[in-house]
Amino acid sequence: MGDKLNLQRQSFLGTGSEIVLGRSKAALIGLGGGGSHVAQQLAHIGLGSFLPIDPEFIEDSNLNRLVGATMEDVKLGTAKVDIAERVIKAVNPAAEVIKRRANWTEVAAEIRDVDVIFSCVDSIGCRNELETFARRFLIPLIDIGMDVHESSGEFSISGQVMLSMPGKPCMRCMGLVTDEVLAKEAARYGAAGGKPQVVWPNGTLASIAVGFFMKLVTPWETHKPTPLLLEYDGDLQTVAPSNKLAYLPAHCKHFDSLVELGDPFWTPDALAMVE
Amino acid sequence: MRTILKLTAALYDDLVQRLRETHDFAGERVAFLKCRPALSATSLLLLAGGVHHVEDEDYVDDPSAGATVGRSGLRKALQAAYREAVSMVHVHLHEHRGRPRFSRTDLRENALFVPDFWNVQPSLPHGAVVFSFNSAVGQCWIPGRSSPSGVEIAIVGSPMRCTWKVTNG
Repeated sequence: MGDKLNLQRQSFLGTGSEIVLGRSKAALIGLGGGGSHVAQQLAHIGLGSFLPIDPEFIEDSNLNRLVGATMEDVKLGTAKVDIAERVIKAVNPAAEVIKRRANWTEVAAEIRDVDVIFSCVDSIGCRNELETFARRFLIPLIDIGMDVHESSGEFSISGQVMLSMPGKPCMRCMGLVTDEVLAKEAARYGAAGGKPQVVWPNGTLASIAVGFFMKLVTPWETHKPTPLLLEYDGDLQTVAPSNKLAYLPAHCKHFDSLVELGDPFWTPDALAMVE
Repeated sequence: MRTILKLTAALYDDLVQRLRETHDFAGERVAFLKCRPALSATSLLLLAGGVHHVEDEDYVDDPSAGATVGRSGLRKALQAAYREAVSMVHVHLHEHRGRPRFSRTDLRENALFVPDFWNVQPSLPHGAVVFSFNSAVGQCWIPGRSSPSGVEIAIVGSPMRCTWKVTNG
């Protein structure tokens, strides 16, 4: 027994799946309640390269849901990306982890060549910006989101997992991003406070997100297309394809222009910096 | 530095369907992927957003090659590169499975006509790719360099298909 991850029990994923996973790279934007689950599971399945990005340090209010975090981390004020790296390396010491304690926009150039982006962020505005970035560089984006709603003194848990595939319907096509929602969010900027979050819905959504990823990189069954949007009802404990899927356009009209691809400030002089 | 051509599965499927259509006399069809470039931390990315197809009347009846594009066809491709400010990647299809190879004719002709796109878009990289049914190889001419570099190809869809991850293709 060495330090190499034994993936024998997932060999049904296909010949060479271990190599494909080992050569794959994912960016994890947000290492809170959702992203920490995703990081842990991607470590277990043998992902080769991780790019975890989060500017925050852990706080005591995170401990109810952040996988891998300890009371000691709270005392020390450990960075969330450091916790993610520790969890990943504990499972798979051979994994490459390039962590960035920063907002994703500060390290965007490093995200351009990942295979998949996991969007585990809180706001619709941030989702919108991440998707716009992902479309520009033709990167599939898997987004997870959960919410706790209060109505007449009762609470409901809901959420969704979405695959934003370049060329296919986007978050605007699906109604997850609208100008109205963005405007409302912008109006209460700085006054939102901590939103209710719990561990089990995050775990459910993160597991589905990893399932989306696995169907992208090592499809064990290629004849059943991945639904682009799954909705989670935390009260009924069910997950189902969204009813919106029946009304989606075949192609996205929001990101269909050549000028929205690539580097808007392209100059060949920059090539020297990559050599 | 790696060079990676990325295109969506929908664009790829449409491209292959068109490339497989028969022509009155040409043995195969060719097209140009219209791309915008970008740099990542380690790679030059060519991001395809459309296809410039060579029209039927722009092929030349030349039994020595699978497909020969006449002057008017090349002029239209140059015009598209100029008008839309895009990198152009010449593409054709070898109808088999496994890793394809450029023929000697391909390599000679690529070196002649691909750098011509610098006459209309001198700051952009341009290239050539040959696809098989499940793989591809390519060449890219990068501004400031005299010889081409290799191109890796990623088809972005479900499933993802990346030439550098093929283990048995």
